[in-house]
Amino acid sequence: MINRDTVTVAIIWIIATVAVEIAFSFVDLFPAAASEEAVIVDDAFYFLTYIAIPVFTFILVALSYSIIKFRSRPADDGGPPEDGPPQRTHNAWVRGWMLVTSALVVTVIIHPGLTGLWEMDEAANKDLDFVVKVTGVQWAWSFNYPDQNITSPELVLPNDTHVRFDVTAVDVVHSFWVPAFRTKIDAVPGLTTEIHANITETGNYDDDINFRVQCAELCGREHAIMQSPVRVVERAEFNEWVLSKQ
Amino acid sequence: MTALKPLGRAILFALIGFLIGAGLSAALVEAAGRDEMKEPIIAGGYMFALIGWLFGVGVWGSWVREWFGATVKPFHIEGWGRYLGFSTDHKVIGVQYGVTTIVIFLLAGALALLMRIELADANSTLLSRTDYNTVMGLHGIMMIAVAVAALMGGFANYVMPLMIGADDVAFPRLNALSFWIVPPVAVLLILTPLFGGMDTGWTGYPPLSSQGPTGNLLFLMAFTTFGLSSILGGLNFLATIITMRAPGMTWSRIPIFVWAVFAASLISLTATQFVAYALLMVIFERVFGMHFFDGTIGGDAILFEHVFWFYSHPAVYVMILPAFGIELEILSHFARKPVFAYKWVVRAFFSIVGLSFVVWAHHLFTSGMSSELHGPFMVLTELISIPTGVVFLAAVGTIWRGRLWLKTPMLFAMGVIANFLIGGLTGLYVADVVTDLNFQDTYFVVAHFHYTIVGGEIFALMGAIYYWYPKITGRMYSERLGRIHFIGMMVLYNVTFIPMFIVGAQGMNRRVADYPAEFENLNMFITVSSLLLGLAFIPFVYNMVNSWIRGRKAGDNPWGARTLEWQTTSPPPEENFETQPVVVEDPYGYGDPDAKHFEFPSGSGHVAEPAGGDD
Ligand code: HEM
Ligand SMILES: [Cu+2]
Ligand SMILES: [Cu+2]
Repeated sequence: MINRDTVTVAIIWIIATVAVEIAFSFVDLFPAAASEEAVIVDDAFYFLTYIAIPVFTFILVALSYSIIKFRSRPADDGGPPEDGPPQRTHNAWVRGWMLVTSALVVTVIIHPGLTGLWEMDEAANKDLDFVVKVTGVQWAWSFNYPDQNITSPELVLPNDTHVRFDVTAVDVVHSFWVPAFRTKIDAVPGLTTEIHANITETGNYDDDINFRVQCAELCGREHAIMQSPVRVVERAEFNEWVLSKQ
Repeated sequence: MTALKPLGRAILFALIGFLIGAGLSAALVEAAGRDEMKEPIIAGGYMFALIGWLFGVGVWGSWVREWFGATVKPFHIEGWGRYLGFSTDHKVIGVQYGVTTIVIFLLAGALALLMRIELADANSTLLSRTDYNTVMGLHGIMMIAVAVAALMGGFANYVMPLMIGADDVAFPRLNALSFWIVPPVAVLLILTPLFGGMDTGWTGYPPLSSQGPTGNLLFLMAFTTFGLSSILGGLNFLATIITMRAPGMTWSRIPIFVWAVFAASLISLTATQFVAYALLMVIFERVFGMHFFDGTIGGDAILFEHVFWFYSHPAVYVMILPAFGIELEILSHFARKPVFAYKWVVRAFFSIVGLSFVVWAHHLFTSGMSSELHGPFMVLTELISIPTGVVFLAAVGTIWRGRLWLKTPMLFAMGVIANFLIGGLTGLYVADVVTDLNFQDTYFVVAHFHYTIVGGEIFALMGAIYYWYPKITGRMYSERLGRIHFIGMMVLYNVTFIPMFIVGAQGMNRRVADYPAEFENLNMFITVSSLLLGLAFIPFVYNMVNSWIRGRKAGDNPWGARTLEWQTTSPPPEENFETQPVVVEDPYGYGDPDAKHFEFPSGSGHVAEPAGGDD
């Protein structure tokens, strides 16, 4: 099965793959990452993309090449062209292909799949600075800081801390998502779910809309605007804010 | 006028049924002293109306009477009228399904454009947020119904029995029943806006779906009813493929599309029952005041999500497996080469079916289910890439060094390869737990599933329509309009949906009528291209209608294809084949001058025109 067509396709494929990989390395899709978790998520995305690109280019190159090279004129009476070769299968190709795709699948299962989970776990097991209790109700969020003993409609957090969010809902399922932190967890009535953020960057909603708590599970009429602003500030400023609230 | 009689009777019976059901329920509500409850009356009325409808349309006359020893009157009307009644001919039912699903597809497409117009700017202007939810939910559930029923109800019904050389399906009356269950579904969905709309999306998660407007109840009843239709269809196809194959049609000789239908039917038959239970339980919550899924009164909201996706993930393979089958079928006949690695593809189909049942919880990575489940469900989900990869290899292997005949069906089949490639690869990001924590419920997911359902299945559906159009109508469509449709759809489809990946990655969540103004430019772009995409369907509709009336005669086998459906007249006679074909080999013997898929016992039978016909 090595012939001029396969060789040409292989060469075009390699060139296309390199070109797309290089082009992709300039792409910056995501907004600012404000937590360690966000970096894990973005890295996983880029890794997956680098793995996916060769598969993508392989199929597209083979397809485009076939369209250009193997296109045939219909028979004189307008019927189908004459038959192609009676090639039914080629077990070496099938086995080789399955070996390669399986290897790729195992790779992405291990990394970023399982390592990603493990990194998330590691981040969650770091020393905890404090807990915020998050409650969703149609259609607003409220944030309770048990250590500081305050409740606020705005989520204010100190930079360089590890925060756990204990999330629940009163009426229907909502979902707690801060795009700048990349992770989300549903707020389920009768259940407390949790996610963590190891915060690394300051920022606030007025400058970057990804510093927002966005409900990410359809919860009825005002779901779209079930948002709260998020402010990540330096420790001192946070302490002041707490004092002003108490 | 006689053609309209069964329909008129069905509507009358449905109304009478509704009054009886509603009356009984009202009496019960009254007796229980709960006069404020309206929904039991609607649900009771609907149940009886459904039965009345089915009896009126023909179940009584051509089926149930027999149980009481009376004679049945088989439905027999010639001409167009037969499409309006309880016909048991699989070809008529296939057309009924096909036309119904295309109409629903166009309606739901119009709803999509309405959503896109609303999303052109960041605020809700055209639609209120409530109305947006209704439009979004209706678009979703109508499209899901189209995706489940168009290929299976429409094409599998019409073509599969022909392909295996059978004269009908195994249970023709059941087949008619499963079609006639569909119109009430459409009626319920169309009525939802009059009952306060629906605000749950097509997934109908409680506790939201057990509260809110009565429109939610209509949606739940519609979905449950539709499930019944799919279960009966799956059962019927399995029985047909197992018992009705022509002599000589061994398992290794059946066309690849038939394998795909077999695999998809296994899922329809078994998985659909789960979603029906889940939806019924929500209906019980609304109608009887039960609490299965409310965590604050002893229920569990996540339980519903598990059961729902235990069906709804396999359901995506009810959509895509027949699409794979059609894709490979078309590629083979238009590349004039055998389906590459046929046996591997069959193995791949069944691996997909098996795996599809053990991956459902990848929809629940952010639901709050035990995080110990994340790893296993991620691993199982990613394993599906291996059999799916085999299907890609088969597609590319089939056209490789073939003689490509780039007719419209072939263009669409190749479009499936390119589009589903994007759909499949972006599936990696939502199967990976870590990236899914971000992407779940954003426009990234919206783009991903449209790439699989529209880019994969709907493109295959279009390919199927053009491919079998000459067989079904006996006439040829306009190739020029077909190409314009393909090019318009392929380009504008990609231009519309690629930006959705980007806007999702930038932080736009789904199911919203309002979004941060930062995303306005991209959304405006998407809206404009989606409107142009809508225009691409005008040549399609015109071509279909016009060619059916005025198109030139197509001949029996204009594509020179080797499968059995092309070896009879276009359209086929009621009994499909004048004499029973006998199968001697598989249908993919291209390039082999001695290959022969079938023979008609000598001296008899319809002799098909030689391959080619006139073009
Ligand atoms: C003209 C082409 C189409 C456009 C512009 C379009 C657009 C949209 C939009 C804007 C949404 C809302 C997304 C969200 O916020 O979740 C949506 C949802 C959806 N669409 Fe489409 N769509 C199109 C065709 C289709 C087709 C052909 C199908 C399936 C056969 C389909 C299936 C769905 C489903 C299942 C949903 C989810 C609804 C829900 O979450 O309840 N769409 N579509
Ligand atoms: Cu919400
Ligand atoms: Cu799934």
